[in-house]
Amino acid sequence: MIRVCRWLLERVLPDDVSDHVIGDLIEQQDRGRLWLVRETAAALILLRAPRRRGDRMLETFLGDMRLGARMLRRSPAFTATAILTLGLSIGATAAIFSVIDPVLLRPLPYPNADRLAFVWERNRDGTRDNVGFQTIKDLADRSTSIEQWAAVGGWGPTVGDAQPEVVAGDRVSWTYFRTLGVAPAIGRDFLAEEDQPNHNLEVILSFGLWQRKFGGDSSIVGRAIPIGGTPMTVVGVMPASFDNVVTTNAKIWRVLGYAPSQPFACRTCHHLRMLVKLKPGVSANAAAAEMDGIFGTLVAAYPTQYASVGTQVVRAQDEVTRGYQPALLALAGAVVLVLLIGIANVANLQLARSVRRHEEFAIRSALGASRGRVTRQLLAEGLVLALLGGIAGAVVARLALPVLVDQLPPALPRLEAIHFDAAGFGVIASIILLLALALALAGARSDRGDLGASLRSGRRLSSGGHHAARSTLVVVEVGLATTLLVSATLVARSLLFLLGVNAGFDPSHLLTLQVSAIGPRYAVAANVVAYHDRLRDAIRAVPGVQSVALTNQVPLAGNIDMYGVLDPDNMPANPELVPSGDRYVASPEYLATMRIPILRGRAYTDADAADTVNKVTLVSAALAERLWPGQNPLGHRIKLGGPTAPPRTVIGVAGNVKHGGLDATTTLQWYAPESQWLFADNTEVIVVRTTLEPSSLVPAVRRAINAVDPTLPISAVATMDQLIEQSTAQRRLALVLFAAFAVAALLLAMAGIYGVLSGSVAERTREIGLRSALGAAPRAILTLVVSQGLRLGALGLVLGLIGSAGLTRFLRTFLFNVSENDVGARVVVVAVLGVVTLAACAIPASRAIRIDASEALRGD
Amino acid sequence: MLGELEQLVLLGVMRAGPDAYGVPVHDEIQRRAARDLTLGTIYKTLTRLEEKGMVVSRIGEPTAQRGGRRTRCYRVTPAGSRALQSSIRSLRRMASGLDVGLEPT
Repeated sequence: MIRVCRWLLERVLPDDVSDHVIGDLIEQQDRGRLWLVRETAAALILLRAPRRRGDRMLETFLGDMRLGARMLRRSPAFTATAILTLGLSIGATAAIFSVIDPVLLRPLPYPNADRLAFVWERNRDGTRDNVGFQTIKDLADRSTSIEQWAAVGGWGPTVGDAQPEVVAGDRVSWTYFRTLGVAPAIGRDFLAEEDQPNHNLEVILSFGLWQRKFGGDSSIVGRAIPIGGTPMTVVGVMPASFDNVVTTNAKIWRVLGYAPSQPFACRTCHHLRMLVKLKPGVSANAAAAEMDGIFGTLVAAYPTQYASVGTQVVRAQDEVTRGYQPALLALAGAVVLVLLIGIANVANLQLARSVRRHEEFAIRSALGASRGRVTRQLLAEGLVLALLGGIAGAVVARLALPVLVDQLPPALPRLEAIHFDAAGFGVIASIILLLALALALAGARSDRGDLGASLRSGRRLSSGGHHAARSTLVVVEVGLATTLLVSATLVARSLLFLLGVNAGFDPSHLLTLQVSAIGPRYAVAANVVAYHDRLRDAIRAVPGVQSVALTNQVPLAGNIDMYGVLDPDNMPANPELVPSGDRYVASPEYLATMRIPILRGRAYTDADAADTVNKVTLVSAALAERLWPGQNPLGHRIKLGGPTAPPRTVIGVAGNVKHGGLDATTTLQWYAPESQWLFADNTEVIVVRTTLEPSSLVPAVRRAINAVDPTLPISAVATMDQLIEQSTAQRRLALVLFAAFAVAALLLAMAGIYGVLSGSVAERTREIGLRSALGAAPRAILTLVVSQGLRLGALGLVLGLIGSAGLTRFLRTFLFNVSENDVGARVVVVAVLGVVTLAACAIPASRAIRIDASEALRGD
Repeated sequence: MLGELEQLVLLGVMRAGPDAYGVPVHDEIQRRAARDLTLGTIYKTLTRLEEKGMVVSRIGEPTAQRGGRRTRCYRVTPAGSRALQSSIRSLRRMASGLDVGLEPT
């Protein structure tokens, strides 16, 4: 400690001073560290050579900061308002940027992350598709820009046998982790010889699953665990730090084991993602150009197996944030607007305050303080205020961030990496600097007037320049608030439209559960179907259950299970161009249970299901219209799942269902009984329509399911209302954030208008008094004040509307059925702002009316 | 008229004797006036007093105890004593005859 003190003192103090002071400190160092620190600090401040100009400036500046802090303490209302405003707006900004930094800005947590990319098939309409295994192999074999590649397919196995559980996972090429550049922490990676058909019984666990399901037991590595009834060997466990952005919720990986000869490895089997590591120096664009060329030769060679026209190569970083980038950027924009409004507001308060301090500055200059000196003091005060606001902002950000992260969609990549850290502090620090400057400038504006005149007249002067500055700030505030308000209204209207969408079924009083029939017994399809029939009967007997149905999938739950629907009498030249419909292999009660209307014909019955020869199907209205426009679809025969599939007779047309989400654009579905389908679905969704609150029936339904077979896992228990809420969660979050930002902006703008008007009324007391003495009616005075307020509001509104025309296009991903240029939203905003502006005028206007003419004029 | 700090430091130098430097002056003031001044304050005051000609300083000898650093020893000049006397006299005259507790004992 003494060494640090000595070093500091030697550095800062002139030699003839430091020598004896350091001597004193060394002699007395037994007095303790605290004493040493205090003495050193005092000596450093007091004994510094007085002649150096910079030092004196620093000393004055520190003094100014102390003075500034004292002045702030003296006006607690101003200080509290300013710190609260700054704290909230800075905190919100830092929190949003703490999310954006790891998600969008920082490179993915893999070595060579910049060389990782995904390759997709590109359709004629610009949409894209997963890739079949043979296509992946051909692309990889012929490309010269790829260093390593891997195929990734979805997987949702049932893990364990005592308490079986459905776990999200991926099936991956043996090169998958090597392509990412990561390796298991325990055990080993997959081997090339394991990635073969019938050999692929190896899995790797995530650290979390290993801890939760296997208690972190490292002897599990090398042992076989039951997965979907088949023993598979755990070869490795990934490190806890492995942040999986390819499939954010995957917890288990199985080696893919595909060979081109297998039927599901075909070119038209679009169920794999292609991950590549590009060679160093190869750009994604260059790779895309090469892939397109190769793809062209593949299409030429197999014209009936491709509907897509090219490839799309997307950098992994862009790919994983694809759905979130516009949303996050829009939020960042919104929060910056709030911050700007907050700063404008505090600057405005500071301006108002500096008018009242005109005399103080006048006295200071009269006593010989230079103009620069006064400005420096204002800068110091601004810095104090900015620092306090920044500290408050850091506190707000720390508190708000965990709440915000809780609300973010769970599939958002890098969620774990979101912390309030250096980046957040960096944002706050730069805001503080900007803020200090803005506040000092705001203060300095008032310093322009004739200080001498101010003293002589002994009365506050309303300097026109300063007033213009305040009005400008308020107009800017109103403008920014307008932009935010327009955005929030657009998002809110979208959500309202979305929730008003008819999903095609009645979601109230519906409970859904998922069961998985696994184990050797259920390898036989007939056993699975029998199990499903018994389940149906057992659940139907539960009190409160109105009807029950089993299906392979339900709408709005995020399932994608589609089959090509072809009309043998009307085949397109390229079979890849036949429409795909959502596969609903469901028990006969399904349509009635969901209350999906039957528009033509009839639903299938148990009698149809029992008939294995005459296969029947129902199609959605949209699918019927697509296949047989303007014709009667009943009696047509279609094949589901390829030209070799058995023909089925269309016996009915069902209403369209929004399968992919309330905002889904395609509504092609078909329905068929399980007994007539190609295979039995081991994983099945149970849909229960209840007379009571659906969630209250969960225990009873669970008991009924367990009574049939207690060894099988139940998962994904949710009411249909919850599924709808989940499918709209992102829009809800966006709405909540935008609404919060807009309300904050509106309140701040209102405070701004109020501040300017009440300041102006106070300054014009004499004028207003004179007017009323000369016979002006209260109405005229009211008009005087209100029109000033409305002018500010209207000007800001116009600017904001112009600004919002350019900015709202960033909101496109949030919008549904609402144009970004929606006039209705603008009308709402104009109305709201009109009301708010009038409200802000109310108090200053009533004060103006009550000004007593004789009293106001007595002052002269 | 001397400031309070100047009075305290001048009296401290007188009490600390011929080798009066920062530490003894500090200790005298702390013991008698119960004021814990920093050495920085004391040296700053001494520098000001020296500029006014009320104290003179000389550089002492370096000792091992002080890490080989020298002391700076101060002595009160006649001008200093005169200023102190007049200062204290004024205070006494102002205080005499007022309420209890202000009379010097």
